[in-house]
Amino acid sequence: MITRRSFIKSSSIVGGGLIVGLGVFNACKDKDRLTGGILNSLNSKKGISIGDFVCLQKDGTVFINLCKHEMGQGVSSGLTAILAEELDANWKKVRIVYADPIAGISNSTGGSTSTLDQWDELRKAGAFIRNLLLAAAAQHWGVDKMDCQAENSFIYLKNSRKKIEYGELVDKITLSETLEEPQFKKKDAYKLIGKSFPNKIIPDIITGRHPYGIDVRLPDMKYAAIERCPVFKGTLVRYDATEALAISGVEKVVEIKGKVLDGNTHIRSGLAVIANSTWAAFQGKRALIIEWNYGEKEKIKHEDFVASAFHKLAHEDGREALNVGETPKMQKTDSTFSQTYEFPYQHHACMEPLNATAIYTNNSCEIWTGTQSATYVMAKIEEHMGIPKENIKINCYPSGGGFGLRYWASYALEAVLVSKASGGDLIKMCYTREDDIKCDYLNSYEFNKHTVLIRNDKPISWSLKAAIDNWGAVLGWLYYDISHKYVEEVRINGFTQASAWRSVMANAEGFSTECFIDELAEKLNQDPLDFRLKLLEKDIMVDFNHTYTCNIKRLRNVLKLVSEKGNWGKKMKENSGQGIAVYPYMHGNGYGACIAEVSVSDKKIVIDKITIAIECGLIINPDFVKKQMEGGVIWALSAMFYGGTEYKNGEVLRSNFHDNKVLRIHEIPEIEVHLCESDENRPWGVGEIAPPVTYPAVCNAIYAATKKRIRKLPLEKSMLQ
Amino acid sequence: MAKIQLFVNNKTRVIDVEPTMPLLWVLRDVIGLTATKYGCGIGQCGACTVMIDGQTIRSCSYLAIDAYQKNIITLEGISDDDFHPVQQAWIDEQVPQCGYCQNGQIMNAIALLEDNSNPTDQEIKEHMAGVICRCGTYPRILKAIKRAANQ
Repeated sequence: MITRRSFIKSSSIVGGGLIVGLGVFNACKDKDRLTGGILNSLNSKKGISIGDFVCLQKDGTVFINLCKHEMGQGVSSGLTAILAEELDANWKKVRIVYADPIAGISNSTGGSTSTLDQWDELRKAGAFIRNLLLAAAAQHWGVDKMDCQAENSFIYLKNSRKKIEYGELVDKITLSETLEEPQFKKKDAYKLIGKSFPNKIIPDIITGRHPYGIDVRLPDMKYAAIERCPVFKGTLVRYDATEALAISGVEKVVEIKGKVLDGNTHIRSGLAVIANSTWAAFQGKRALIIEWNYGEKEKIKHEDFVASAFHKLAHEDGREALNVGETPKMQKTDSTFSQTYEFPYQHHACMEPLNATAIYTNNSCEIWTGTQSATYVMAKIEEHMGIPKENIKINCYPSGGGFGLRYWASYALEAVLVSKASGGDLIKMCYTREDDIKCDYLNSYEFNKHTVLIRNDKPISWSLKAAIDNWGAVLGWLYYDISHKYVEEVRINGFTQASAWRSVMANAEGFSTECFIDELAEKLNQDPLDFRLKLLEKDIMVDFNHTYTCNIKRLRNVLKLVSEKGNWGKKMKENSGQGIAVYPYMHGNGYGACIAEVSVSDKKIVIDKITIAIECGLIINPDFVKKQMEGGVIWALSAMFYGGTEYKNGEVLRSNFHDNKVLRIHEIPEIEVHLCESDENRPWGVGEIAPPVTYPAVCNAIYAATKKRIRKLPLEKSMLQ
Repeated sequence: MAKIQLFVNNKTRVIDVEPTMPLLWVLRDVIGLTATKYGCGIGQCGACTVMIDGQTIRSCSYLAIDAYQKNIITLEGISDDDFHPVQQAWIDEQVPQCGYCQNGQIMNAIALLEDNSNPTDQEIKEHMAGVICRCGTYPRILKAIKRAANQ
């Protein structure tokens, strides 16, 4: 029950209408900060707002404050639809606002969790407001609320022609002493959810009006670019900015001191050039003469890094991550089977290079940027610069791709540091593409050693030992029904900064686990599909010490679906083959399965077709899900063919799209996406489901075509050895 | 600095520019037309595509002074109130994800269809291979171009 007291505490009446903060629906630690935000500024003249969160104007327009970061995954329309559904709002009258961070509300966008995180909150908000509108209409007509019904932004009086539009009701809303707990609509009454409604942001995108952070233009804004130390943790020794300052348009050169804040946010030592255009700033950067001390990372050689990983996998006890069942005692007739897989560094290469616009004044700052976690950015600015959170304002923008790179605070923090160092200039700091590649937070390099103990042609013990670079932790999602499972990890010290990269450690572990199970099936003379299905026979929930338990029935269903749709076992031409894979993505509790068809000649691999299926619970928008799967497949294929990176003396050697290639349109296979029916009554994660199954399906298909096992990516390196 | 006259989206602009400044930055930072995107700066990704006298060029690698008195069309200028048929096809096929590369995709698709009103899959792929999309919207770009061609 929501009491009037708690309601009033986080709500207020403004301009004759209702303001509802999201704090009503979600425990809020910092209620004093609930006022403010973008929607309140919309309020003043035109209409009424229901919230930091929802605003209903007198013309009937509904503004929804988007708490999650739109970076192409479609959350702005998907989340909005959840609220609009319960509100029974006319979809055409619903508009999206990219929100400032709202205190107490997590705006962290990652792990394929946005939809599942907000499902309850958004439905409550929609149903709650619908209730208020129903009550207002009932009071207006002098009838019982039960005689009213909501539809398409109108309240109708049943058995009559009377109707009233939502906008006309906002002044009529009154609050009772207690407010009813809202009732949710039944699934079969959904008008939006489950339908392929169009994405609301597309008209803005195709006309160039979609507001990316890089497009911010403000009065008296200057432009900045930073020449950063090319080696992680290196420091600036001395510099000469004479030539840079001589470039027309260049105004200042200021120093940025390096600092490693935590495992995820690092400021590289560097020099910022402030100019009157991005181009002048970029030119100024190139003209700087700098002497660096590269530091310890310069000394790391890749062959030593790899050798240390294999040494640790063989000789060092790791941190235990999972230990289930009894360790079987070896018997004479038992055998072991073990393989090690290697998943390389990967670049993000978001199409929009990192950028942030900022101004620093008197221990406060304002930032304009696209971020996957505005609250984390604020925390890091407070930690590093001592600016109290209440003095930090972030204006959030959608991004041209995030893929985990925009989860961390460095680029926003850099922009504030540049502004402060410049004496308080308002600056738009933009990475060049070269900066974006060379100073990327790479996917952690990871080695996975899988071992099984086999007795009577059955695996009875399964262990995974992972050697992982400087970021992340082993997932250890060992879902096959093998009585003893053990997961441990050892750490290896890579040459540069690493962080989240779409699907995170599930890239390496999906690849290794499903390639290994394929090898095991062959060793035991079993069909790859039958072998998997036998080990997924029971309808059980498997616990990996994770937030969610793995639902084997859902996993099996998606595998079965892909095997039917992808015609598993069909006759293939010479030098071509099929490969199969299935994997649970437990961060989002979504399940994927894939069949790849490849043909190989003269070591050239052609992916002919990918059939992929997903079980993601209740589907908000089938077309959005399909798009994420198509994109995820292409993401994975880019990583397989062109991924990895090269480095020397601590410096990334790649610099732009000519040497950090990604798939282009002429290289894509036919991609078929199937959505698995689900008994789940809520949505689960989507965005990161495809990559972990794509790698192993392709590698297993290459094996079927060539009899060569791929245990190391990218493919080129494996195939040429 | 050089004072030059540019015709952008049928408007005359007289601006002072550095002779070395690419058209991309004149459009974005000087004029304020931000639909044209910076992606790579070396003509590799296509996000900065604009049309000059009916031909697509990579504005990151094309000096603004070379566009002197030429007719420049950016994404902002390809349609008035209604969508261009290519834009409409982009809506119908729900092409974009993050959308950042879509300026380049749309400008190049328009140029393709102006030269070849009924391209084959192979011709579409060859023509569009210069524009990178990191989200993987390629299957839909193919469909949308065919849809636009049919209309």
